[in-house]
Amino acid sequence: MENQKFYYDNKTVKLFILATIIWGVVGILVGILAALQLAFPAFNFGLEYTTFGRIRPLHTNAIIFAFVGNAIFAGVYYSMQKLLKTRMFSDRLSKINFWGWQLIIVLAAVTFVLGISTAKEYAELEWPIDILIAVVWVIFGWNMIGTILKRRVQHIYAAIWWYIATFIGVAILHVVNSFELPISLTKSYSIYAGAQDAVVQWWYGHNAVAFFLTTPFLGLMYYYLPKAANRPIYSYKLSIIHFWSLIFLYMWAGPHHLLYQALPEWAQALGVTFSIMLIAPSWGGMINGLLTLRGAWDKVRDSAALKFFVVAVTAYGMSTFEGPMMSLKSVNQITHFTDWTIAHVHIGGMGWNGGLVFGMLYWLIPKLFKTKLFSEKLANIHFWMSTLAILIYAIPLYWSAVTQWLMWREYTPEGYLAYPNFLETLTQILPMYTVRILAGVLFLGGFLVMSFNLFKTMTTGKVEDNEAAEAPALVPAGPRNPVQETVHRWMERKGVRFSVWVFIALVIGGAVEIIPMIFIKSNVPTIDSVKPYTPLELEGRDIYISEGCYVCHSQMVRPFRWETDRYGEYSKIGEFVYDHPYQWGSRRTGPDLGRAGVVGGPMYKNAAWHYNHFLDPQKMNEQSIMPNYAWFAEKDVNLEMTPKKIRAMQTLGVPYEEGYDQKAIDDYMIQAKLIVDDLKASGIEIEPTKQMVAMIAYMHKLGKDISVPGDSETTTSGEAIKENVELLSSQADLDAAKQIFQTTCIVCHGSDGKGIATFPSLVDDEWINGNQPEQVYTSIANGNVAKGMIAYKNQYNEEQITQLASYILLVLNNENSK
Amino acid sequence: MAKENYQIDKHEDNITEHDYDGIKELDNPPPRWIMALFYITIGFSIIYGAYYFWLGVGDHQDAEYAKKSQRHDEKYQMVSLSAADLAWLTDDTSLQEGKTIYNEMNCFACHGMNGEGNAIGPNLTDKYWLNGCDFESIFNIIKNGNPAKGMTAFKGQISDEKIQKVASYVHTLKGTSPANAKEAQGEACE
Repeated sequence: MENQKFYYDNKTVKLFILATIIWGVVGILVGILAALQLAFPAFNFGLEYTTFGRIRPLHTNAIIFAFVGNAIFAGVYYSMQKLLKTRMFSDRLSKINFWGWQLIIVLAAVTFVLGISTAKEYAELEWPIDILIAVVWVIFGWNMIGTILKRRVQHIYAAIWWYIATFIGVAILHVVNSFELPISLTKSYSIYAGAQDAVVQWWYGHNAVAFFLTTPFLGLMYYYLPKAANRPIYSYKLSIIHFWSLIFLYMWAGPHHLLYQALPEWAQALGVTFSIMLIAPSWGGMINGLLTLRGAWDKVRDSAALKFFVVAVTAYGMSTFEGPMMSLKSVNQITHFTDWTIAHVHIGGMGWNGGLVFGMLYWLIPKLFKTKLFSEKLANIHFWMSTLAILIYAIPLYWSAVTQWLMWREYTPEGYLAYPNFLETLTQILPMYTVRILAGVLFLGGFLVMSFNLFKTMTTGKVEDNEAAEAPALVPAGPRNPVQETVHRWMERKGVRFSVWVFIALVIGGAVEIIPMIFIKSNVPTIDSVKPYTPLELEGRDIYISEGCYVCHSQMVRPFRWETDRYGEYSKIGEFVYDHPYQWGSRRTGPDLGRAGVVGGPMYKNAAWHYNHFLDPQKMNEQSIMPNYAWFAEKDVNLEMTPKKIRAMQTLGVPYEEGYDQKAIDDYMIQAKLIVDDLKASGIEIEPTKQMVAMIAYMHKLGKDISVPGDSETTTSGEAIKENVELLSSQADLDAAKQIFQTTCIVCHGSDGKGIATFPSLVDDEWINGNQPEQVYTSIANGNVAKGMIAYKNQYNEEQITQLASYILLVLNNENSK
Repeated sequence: MAKENYQIDKHEDNITEHDYDGIKELDNPPPRWIMALFYITIGFSIIYGAYYFWLGVGDHQDAEYAKKSQRHDEKYQMVSLSAADLAWLTDDTSLQEGKTIYNEMNCFACHGMNGEGNAIGPNLTDKYWLNGCDFESIFNIIKNGNPAKGMTAFKGQISDEKIQKVASYVHTLKGTSPANAKEAQGEACE
């Protein structure tokens, strides 16, 4: 067979490498800034653009999509050409892939800083950028599949299986999670609400970890590790088994981010069990990597690249054991909402992703530039700095997680929370946050040492943008030979068929979890008393979303006594049906706000408190690390958008009455006026259109719709109080009352009013809440929830309640007490 | 490249004919323990499903909460102060503790570091009180709060004993006239 001449495209690889290094520095720098802000709030600089709520998404997105993303493209573009013995399918697509991706990154950075965010973790970008991502990603996939189709190699190697899974997996996840209804260029609402949105989001979030941070890296490992070690892959069979089991199982595991939360039990159980089943498939990758180094461990001593690979694969093994353990409900109650998860992802990010990228660059750049690494010594220094940084990062945060969790759940011997003030539990762990900064600086230092080393290497060599190569053309092998060829081996030479099977393996898990959540009503039991957001509350909520409040504040009280004592009643699925998007959060750097609107609840603060707190949190709590939001008092809500928002909500199924968009502004101003007046009583002057007013309204809405006032002793606003109740003694009134009594009241008070079990008798002379007509009226109207007496003011009108009071006092109490 | 040929352990490994850009693959079976681990985790999942769903033995989270919460209530009988104990404390230890509680519970956020009051909370150092003058009234407003006006109910957060101490501490602030004191609100108490 005659060899065909062709050229490898090294230029695209080089560009992606440069982007990887540059964005890596940026991503880590932003991470250090975020770490500084948590230890020293002054680093929020008092500017809206640099608050932690905006900086943290910038850090996560920069690391995941900019640093890791470019590294994936660099590694894939290089290895795929070599493995398939062909140039990439289309230079133009390669170019669009590169520049399109950089454009996305720049747009992301700009929009985050400006407070344009969908507030869905790791998917915070707004819809125009989402579309751009989808386009560029499809171009990447198109280029990849095209390359596979024009290959000169019979079989597709394992590394490329992982690349295929990456392309298809991310495409599915990104598209499904990004369904949103735009109302302007910079604002959209997720079409999913509450628990549904949470399931979709964490199906996405978890699998972004899987298909952006894991599968492409396993692919890279399968190429660069054996190349750098010059050793054969340990087990081809293991490659097959762990590939298919991993991609199939991963897609099911998302709900492990929502354990003990407002999610149907079956979905949580799928999250738990599929996470546990992922241990072996994940470790399959680690073992295949480590056993590939058999007989080459002496090389590890001398090669920084291999050292990084070993740390990467080990970190991968640790993370993929830790992850399933964190998915057990009992463990999850410790790790969720604490810094444990943060430590966990940094072992993965700095160890597995970082290590593999560094190893790859140390091996690839000398190869590409046809030279030797400038300094193996500097590479070793980088290795130790980087590895040490991981430990210095993770250990304090594990410590902080356990400390804070223990403090949250500690009770005094009398039965009170030992640390009822949330801030105490945060202040306790702040020293750990200071140590974390050092870890970040050390990691950045190592990264800069690497960058220097690599740029030096580049200057000593020269890359051939188009590198000549030759290989014989591919002759299709025809139908499968059952004697010589296993089914899998046959599939390996059928790129499209292989991709179709990957697609099938991927969609099953997501479909089983998401479709029932959306179409089976019983999964989201509604609660009648839960009302849609008023226009003012909706605007407040949008500010909450835009500022990224969810990165520090959860809105999800879990069913633990130590949470319900601290925050109030635990959260129910039906409470979130109007939440587009959901805002449950994943880390409590600040306290949960899920019940911040429950008057009389432990989290309630009045308008003046919120006003002062937003202006200067440190004035209210000296040790608070919350950034100030002084501009809430300065900036206006854009009321032109409000009717549009109402209409968008109606489209999404929120039951505002028809034509409500036209009345929205009136209602907005009425409600805003109440808050303005309330603030005025405390000597604070503010205009009703300010952001502050909307934020206060939203804070006062949170969790109140199913609120059970803790105690009748406290006067809550909106209670029915009636003065001078005149008893009604006509027979018609008493008959009407008797009928109500016999259908409703007898359950507790008995048909003769003598009371059943612990419920009080209405016929004796002992009255818990007084026997004056007004008092009896009030007892019926407002109830005594703590004691079990229901408030009937919303079920019966004033006349009916008066009738009842009359019946009780004139008939029951009179007749029987004589 | 030639001199760097793979050193293959002939006893263990079967090399396949696979060769991708120089990467070879061995035909080793997966280590037995990893397969065993895989089957064990599948077994675990089936048992997990049976325990919580098909057999229905395990409590779902609502039931679990109800049970644990009940056990909690049995374990801790919240002690309320008896009526006889409702009186100002005057000993230094208690007042010092009261001051600590005042700071720990962030009372100063609304009432100022020295009880002078601010935009949110009233002055605690003058003789005017919004919710009554005597011990019981002040104890009650701390315990049960007045959420509509912004006073948090502290009964779920600190014990009666602590409320008594902080109330007593606040009582000692009367007449201290700190700087920036807020104007008087409520009725005069002599």
